[in-house]
Order: sequence, then C-alpha cells, then structure tokens
Amino acid sequence: MAKVLVREAARTQVVGQGVPRLDAEAKVKGQARYADDLSFPGMLYGKAIRSERPHARIRRLDLSRVLAHPKVACVVTAKDIPGRNCVPIIYEDMPLLAEEIVRYVGEPIALLAAETREDAEEAARLASIEYEDLPAVFDPLEALRPGAPQVAVPTAAERGNLFNHMVIRKGDVARGFAEADVIVEGEYRVGYQEHAYLETQGVIAVPEENGIAVYGTLQCPFYVQRAVAAVLGLPLSRVRVVQTATGGGFGGKEDVPSQVAAMAAVLAWRSGRPVKVVYDREEDILTTSKRHPAIVRYKTGAKRDGTLTAVEVEFYYNAGAYQTLSSAVLWRGLVHAAGPYRIPHVKVDGYSVATNTVPCGAFRGFGSPQVIFAHEAQMDELARRLGMDPLELRQKNALREGDETATAQVLTESVGLLSCIERAKELSRWEERKQKVAEFNARERFRKRGLGVSTVMYGVGMGAKAPLLDKAGAYVKLEADGSITVAVGNTEMGQGAMTVLAQIAAEALEVPLSVIQMAPVDTSRVPDSGPTVASRTTTVQGLAVLDAARKLKAKINRAVQEILGCPAFVVEGRSFCDPKDPRRRVTLEEVARWMWVHNWDMGATGWAEAAPVDWDPKTGLGNAYFVYAFACHIAEVEVDILTGEAHVRGFWAVHDSGRIVNPKTAWGQVAGGIAQGIGYALLEELQAKEGRILYPTFTAYHIPTTLDMPEELVIDFVEAPYSGGPYGAKGLGEVPLMASHAAVANAISAATGGRLREYPALPERVLALLEGEK
Amino acid sequence: MRLRPIPAVKPRSLEEALRYLEEGGRPLAGGTDLLVAIRKGQEKPELLVYVGELPELRILREGPEGLEIGAALTHAELLVHPATERFPILRAVLRTIGSPAIRAMGTLGGNLVTASPAGDSLVALSLLEARVRLVGPRGERELPIPEFLVGPRKTALERGELVRSVFLPYPEGHPRSFFRKVGRRRALIIAVASLGALVWVRDGRVERARLALGSVAPTVLRPRDVEEALVGRPLAPEAWEDLVPVLSAATQPISDLRATAEYRRKVAGRLLLALAEALQAGP
Repeated sequence: MAKVLVREAARTQVVGQGVPRLDAEAKVKGQARYADDLSFPGMLYGKAIRSERPHARIRRLDLSRVLAHPKVACVVTAKDIPGRNCVPIIYEDMPLLAEEIVRYVGEPIALLAAETREDAEEAARLASIEYEDLPAVFDPLEALRPGAPQVAVPTAAERGNLFNHMVIRKGDVARGFAEADVIVEGEYRVGYQEHAYLETQGVIAVPEENGIAVYGTLQCPFYVQRAVAAVLGLPLSRVRVVQTATGGGFGGKEDVPSQVAAMAAVLAWRSGRPVKVVYDREEDILTTSKRHPAIVRYKTGAKRDGTLTAVEVEFYYNAGAYQTLSSAVLWRGLVHAAGPYRIPHVKVDGYSVATNTVPCGAFRGFGSPQVIFAHEAQMDELARRLGMDPLELRQKNALREGDETATAQVLTESVGLLSCIERAKELSRWEERKQKVAEFNARERFRKRGLGVSTVMYGVGMGAKAPLLDKAGAYVKLEADGSITVAVGNTEMGQGAMTVLAQIAAEALEVPLSVIQMAPVDTSRVPDSGPTVASRTTTVQGLAVLDAARKLKAKINRAVQEILGCPAFVVEGRSFCDPKDPRRRVTLEEVARWMWVHNWDMGATGWAEAAPVDWDPKTGLGNAYFVYAFACHIAEVEVDILTGEAHVRGFWAVHDSGRIVNPKTAWGQVAGGIAQGIGYALLEELQAKEGRILYPTFTAYHIPTTLDMPEELVIDFVEAPYSGGPYGAKGLGEVPLMASHAAVANAISAATGGRLREYPALPERVLALLEGEK
Repeated sequence: MRLRPIPAVKPRSLEEALRYLEEGGRPLAGGTDLLVAIRKGQEKPELLVYVGELPELRILREGPEGLEIGAALTHAELLVHPATERFPILRAVLRTIGSPAIRAMGTLGGNLVTASPAGDSLVALSLLEARVRLVGPRGERELPIPEFLVGPRKTALERGELVRSVFLPYPEGHPRSFFRKVGRRRALIIAVASLGALVWVRDGRVERARLALGSVAPTVLRPRDVEEALVGRPLAPEAWEDLVPVLSAATQPISDLRATAEYRRKVAGRLLLALAEALQAGP
C-alpha cells in the first residue's frame, strides 16, 4: 500500500499553490514574441528544396534557375556546408542536405535564401532535379525481409534496415504460460500522430561578430547548439542559441529544431545576413517528426484468480529513413511494455526499422503509448475472459512498494498506483456507474455506452539509456535591489515549467513568488541542463534550482545575522525580524543592498544529477529509471450505433506524480493529455501512401475541439512523495496522454462489444466493431 | 504557401460592384471558402470585389410571404436575429457550420455560391424551398434551389452575376425540424453525411415530410420517393425500417478522404431511424 502524502505535512508556502502561470499574461495579451515575430535588419528568408521521391539517386541537380531569380541571395548545396554535412542526434546518419541518395519525400537537398518569403517559395519551385528512382519500402515488416531495398545508412543499423533490436528476458515465459489458466493474444496497430503544436517550426540565424546566434522555437537549446556548431565547423563557444516564446512542443521540438536551425545557420553563414526559416503548417506536417506508427503483438497469461503469470511482446516501430531519436524511443517502449504490473515472466522484443518515410521522433510518451494501447487492451481482454471487473484485475496485479518491475528493478519508494486506482474508483462512483451504463444500454436502441480503464507507469527522466543527459544546472542571483534572477537551461514550451521552477526557488529562498524573475534561455548565459524532455524538468531541473536557492539562502541568512546581530530571526513577508525585539527588522531590499555594499558574492550555482541507474542490454534487466510516476484513468464513451460516431462523455483521471508543485498547471497538463489521447484513439489519422503524406492540413487531420472533450472531467492527484525530487515531486508531463487514449479505446471496446485493435476508432471502424468484426 | 497580393476593390454601391464583376472581378464576402481556395492555388482571381458590406446585400426583410435574407449576412448574424426564429431548421443547420470564427465571417450567399455537396446551409434552404435572387448585367432573376445548384461546386450563376439575396417562404403550419450532421468530430468539420427534415405531424403520424441530405450526392438531395412513402406512417423507427435501404439507394456518394462511399450510403439511410427516434421522443 502506497503512502499518500497528507498536504498539511509538507508545510510549504509557495510549493503546492495553484499560482497563475508567469507567462500567461503576456501570451493572453499577444505580447509574447514567437519566432516569426522577430525580425533583424537585412534578414533573408530561407527555404529548403526537398526531395519529391521516397528513394532515389540524384542524377542531376540544376539550380541555375534558382540562382537566376533576382531576389535570391544565396543557394547552398551539400558541398557548401562549412562544417560537417550532418544533423547529429543520437546517431550521425542524417545529412543536413542529401548528396547522392534521397531516402524520403521531403528530404532537404539544397537551400536558398531570398529577400522575402514569397520570393523564397517561388525560387524553390525553380529547382530542377533529375532522379533515378530506387526500389523503396514503406512498411517495417517488409523492410526487414531479405532482399528488401536498403534504406538505413549501414553504420547506423544493426543489420539491413534494422536500426535497433532491444530485449527484455526475465524469468521463463514458457513456464509462465504453462502456469496460466487463461491466455489472450492480439495484434495492435497504430499510425502516425502529429504533434499539432500551435506554433510551427521556426528559427532565425544571425551572424554575430564572434560566431552565430540562433533564435527559435525549441525545447532543447543545447541540442541545437551542438548541431549548428557541427554544420558550421565552429566551437560550441561561438554558437549561441536563444529560445523564443515557444508555442508548444510535445517532443516535436526536441530534435527537429536542430535540423531547422542548421539550415538557417548555413544560409546565414554563407550569405553573411540573418536568415529566417519558418515552416508553414503543410511543410511542418510533411517534413517533421511524428509519433512512430507501430505493429504490436502481445500474449498475456493469467491464473483463474487474475494473477498475471507471463507476458510476451513483439513490437515494430516504423522509424522512417534516419535514426534521429528512434533508439531512445524504442527503449522507452521496451521498458514500459509490461505495464505497471507484477509479472514474473517477461519476454519483450522491440524493433525499430528504417523505411523510406519521414523520420519519426519524440512525442509525449516517447514510444510508450503504442505498447500501452496494447497492454491495456490485453488486460481488458483478460478481464472479459475471466469475468472480472477490469479495475479489480489491475488492482490485483498493480505494482506495490517492494515489488519488482519487468526489468527486475525493485521499487523502493513512491509507488502510488493503488491509491490512484482507489481514488479513480471513488471519484467515478465506479459500481454505480457500471449499473447506470448497463441500464442505459438496455433502454436505448441506437446508442450504447461503455466504460474503459487504464493504468500506467512512467519512468521519469532519461533513464539508463541516456544517463549522461540527466543533469541540470541553475544559477540564482540576488540583485542589489532585492529582486532575484533565476537562470536555468531547461525551457518553457507551454507546460508551465518556469512557473514551477520559480515556485521552487521562492519556497527555498522564503521569498514571495513576485520577487523571482526567470531569465531568458540563452546557451551563452545559462547552464547546460540537458534536454527539456522526459517529464524531467520539475524533478531534475527543480533539484538544481533548489540546490542553488539553498546556497543563496545560506548567504542571505548570514547577512541578516550580521545586520541584526542575532543568531536567529524570523521571516515575515519580505522582512527579517529579531524574535526578541520585533522592531529590529531588515527588509530583503536592505539585505541585498548591504550585501552589495559589502562586496559579497550574491549568486549561487546549483547542480543536480539524477539518481544512478543501470541497465544490461543483453537481458534488458536493471534499474531503468530512478523513479516512476503512475496514473489510473477511467473513460465513459457513447457510440451511436447508426453512424459509429463516438463521444467521450466522462473522464476521471488520477495521477501519482509525487508532490504537485502547482495544482493548476498540473490540472492543465492532465486535461491537455486527455484531449491528445482522445485525438489519438478516436480522431487523428494521417493518411500516407508510398511514403507520401496525402493531406497535410488540419482540414483532414482532425485534432479534438473543445466540444470533443468530456462533459464531465474530473482530475485528481494522490501524492506519493519521492525523496529524490524537490519537495517530493516526480514527473507528470507525458503521463496524462499515455494513460488517456487506452482508457478511451477500452471504453469503445466495452460499448461496442468488439475489440478495438487499431487506432483511430473512426466511425467506420466503430461500425465494424458493432457489427461483430472482432 | 503565402498569398501574393491580389488587387481588390470595395465598391460603394451594387451598381458599381456589378460593373467590376462584368470586368471579370470575383465577389468576396467572408472569404472563408475563396481565400482558402486562393491559398491552395485552386482559384486565381485577378480582381477581388468586396461585397461584404454592400447595403443591398445586408438586408433582412420580413414580408407577408416570407423572409428575404441578404447574401452578405453572416451565419452568426442569422443565428441571433429574431427574424430567423420562424425557421428553426435554418438555425439548427447554421449552428453546425465550422467554428465560431468561421460563422462570424462566412455568409449565407457564400455558402450557396460555393455549392459544395457538403454545404450545410444548402440542406436547410432546400427543405425550406428557398429561392435565390440573382442580380446581373441583364437585370434580376429568381431561381429555386434545385435550379441554382447545378452540380458539385457548380451554380447557375452567369458571368457578372451576383447572389443578392435568398427568399425563404414561411412554411405552412408548424412542421417539426430535424438536422443531423455526421462527421469525425463534434465541431469544425465537413459533413460526411447529413440529413435534415421538416415533418408535419398529425395524430401521431406523418402528414407530410421533406427530407434533404448533404454530402451523399453531387448536390443536396431531396429523396421525393421516401418523402412520399413516409406519409401516414407512425412516429416509430420500427415502422420506417423498410425505407432505410430505399433512402440509401437514392444517394450517389463518392469516396474521399473523409469516408468511403459505402459508409456514406449506409449511414444516409440509417439517419432516417435517427429522425424517427427524434420525432417519437417529442418536440
């Protein structure tokens, strides 16, 4: 049984308060400056000339008409790149500009910069490229067959088109299945999911006296810095990356901005002028990363009483033409494949495969939603077969403190899964609701309702696959007037990170939140804090802020002691008082002034490293992540049996992300994740044919609207504190999306009596389920 | 793709507007269809003639026989104007068009001229047997909806002609209204199939019915045989079931990115049962 933190016990002032987002006002008033809002004198507009073929040899590249365009200032091909022709991510297989071979439709071949955006678009159409088509492959299973066209750059692949194969071998699944009374099996398929961030990709590269500055919409400034330095052949110290207000990321601005920035930087370097590259929605959908399409096969065994005995998983991720982040995505999928359950025998094989399609990448959940869809469908199928309540089945198998995960990691603390399930059951009035749904279904002729549940776990942070990145730095500075500046290397992309980090600083410094100012993120001025990904910012970056704030607080305390001449004092708002003589007091402003006058060092640096993790790639066993977050979601859907339309009527989501620093922003994170999950399960379909995305617009790709959200939406948190996080916090960001779609999918299956095995559950698919296609 | 500047004029009178149209100008009101088509390169007008604020196109006149609606009135304006209260079917349809932003810009005349097979307002105008009033170099003329809509995205408009207004005759008595739009989500959606109906009910039976379907034929479809077959039937889905295949058979759907023809055909017929259920449930 997990410990549930009682709020009073935390005794915090600012942490735990639902303060408004610090960036809200500027964004609501339209004052925030996004990438495309910035302009520099002499600025050009950059544009890529892209491959029209999925797989081809470039026979001839004729850019003479592009060069002849009167408004074109600069044209760049692979040979004009001053540094390396490579966008370094995990592997270095992806060129910035294709030289001999193009591997996907939309791959950049050449770049141009022109005086206006319209000129750039016009000029890009003047390129003449002669291709020799090569055999192409688009399906991951076909790409693995002997004799399949070779897509992967050989140095980046294990063999053929197999980028990576990863395994978990725990116990003996043959024995586990032999012990099972019931075994369910199924294959599940999902397609792309598009990030649909409000702001498309955009950067401006500006040559500076000593190097280059890049301004842009991005999650990971230090990734961009590395990529730009690589293509320009410059030391990192001469590349400065400044994050502009960022209109959403969801992982889509993890690796892609490195590519966009590298393009702008090469053009800026060659032309000597600032170059802006901003994608329109169509270019963004066609050419940037998405969630990996997947084929997922599961076999799960359980005893008659519901106890899980074994799970065997095989899953294939369509990675696209280059590695980008696929190996990391695959690894997270692997570790999460068995779900948040106690299973003695586990065998998992994950494959990421190269095909002639646009490279896939990071998207909230990072390789886990695909397997979660499947493992939660399996749990539902088991519950049906066993005649058990689906929540009860999950309760029975849920990981508890002291249990071993599928990777044989013993969970030593902060396991709030059972509390999540219990609370979700209570909030949804589960038993009563089941009854009501049954009555509705008996009464109604053309409508059916169904309840679906999901439980998930989430490994917080980078995990054992990329431990080098799981660090963060912070600099906290008391200004001479008593205001405080906090500089961090993680970024705000709409998730509320800066607000939460400011709350942590205010709490540790015992000052009002209004005193804190978060510094703009500029790689030349903030510490490298690793990427803003993996729901790690509150936990890891928060710890670094806490470390710095505590050091500064110690200095402030010493100054107050000297000023008041007493060893102890009390803090009242912005004042420090002698407890024996309350008239003896000094304000924060006065303390700051005193420190400045006395030449004190008024800054403090903080550092945090994630707790150690380890991993054996041969067995797939080890301490994969330093801590896990948990959630239980319940969805109620109604389907129209005449048309197959589905609507989520009610949703109850309970999360354990440790201590919640800001309940309001946390609520927003969960609600947003539910919306994205509804989209993934019910609406979002990006049709592609032979490597071409057919309709790259929001007219065809349907993300949920306000009206598609449930009428009843209940969100709550149980807080199982994590001793390694600031004030007991763990990560939250990705978890809501990971859990929500699976609950919706199971509710669709319950309402239709069929089994949804492919996303999205479009009306036609729902009708097929209703009509008995299993 | 960005738009290249296109010359545009804002005439002060209908007369002046018609002169520009004769010279080959394209009328622009809300722009919710035209600007999108220009962006996609499907339309390349040389001159845009902004008619959205012409007083002659902004009238709303309640007469003894019916209501005349200026072509440049927006969906949002029509939704709140008291004069449209007598046409609940019109309001039911307009409420489902696009999003609040689209409804604030898009006009009834624009929806007519676009003549999309999925044009939502066309379902209501067809049910109400509206007449389209056109004005052009050779004067004015009036066409019933079926004559105005000649095909998918094709109207009877001639060069230089403009839709001036739409005349909605008041329906006799008090028919019950029904509109159901099927799509992949609940708002901001192009219909996959839709069914609108005006049904006159007497003693628990259908006295008379008008049906109109969207998105399942080249233009809005009035299935007269089904309308006639409904007369005298009780308001109960089970009493209408035999007409489901008849209605499906009356459609001529296509497959596109939103749905297959097969799905459209099937669902169009089944919407009849949704109508029966709604009628049975009472007003």
